[in-house]
Amino acid sequence: MITHFSAVLLFSLFVSVVFGITQRTQPEKMVRFGLFCFACMVGACILVSWLMYFIKH
Amino acid sequence: MATNAELTQRLPGEKPAKPAFALILGWLIPGAGHLLTGKYIRAALLFAAVLGMYITGLALNGQLYTTISGEILDILSYVGQLGLGLLYFLARWFGWGAPSIVTTLADYGTKFLIVGGLLNIISAVDAYSLANGRKALK
Repeated sequence: MITHFSAVLLFSLFVSVVFGITQRTQPEKMVRFGLFCFACMVGACILVSWLMYFIKH
Repeated sequence: MATNAELTQRLPGEKPAKPAFALILGWLIPGAGHLLTGKYIRAALLFAAVLGMYITGLALNGQLYTTISGEILDILSYVGQLGLGLLYFLARWFGWGAPSIVTTLADYGTKFLIVGGLLNIISAVDAYSLANGRKALK
């Protein structure tokens, strides 16, 4: 069963792979940019989730 | 910053590919455009990523847009899912995907299908750029 968070992880992973490959020319930079995108997406999601939690409580 | 001369330079032994063919093939089959330009690992990764979005979207009971209604968001979603190429037509042929969104996760699934299509368009355009020499083949 896919949970909300695992959906976030899967989404970020797949999008990061495509962004990394298409937005950079060198393999090392592709990996670095892909990891950066993944960290940004998951990090932003966790941050916004906690923000919404504190707004509600 | 790479110069234009560096960007159009091909490595020895690399085969030139037809840009338009790489674009269309890349749209129809995710990663096939990169395969055509000789980028096998990138092709495999792009195929896995777009297929992953597609399978996850269907597993979450995402909605497959089959007709264009008058609403702008429906039109955009339809166009986005069309970006999946043959995968979209496969889903229509076999009747995969929900006719409407009933749960929150199904809404996520719909977004997976739409974004999967958009990612496939990005990768097809990237294959086009590789094939015509605008992006360096490294």
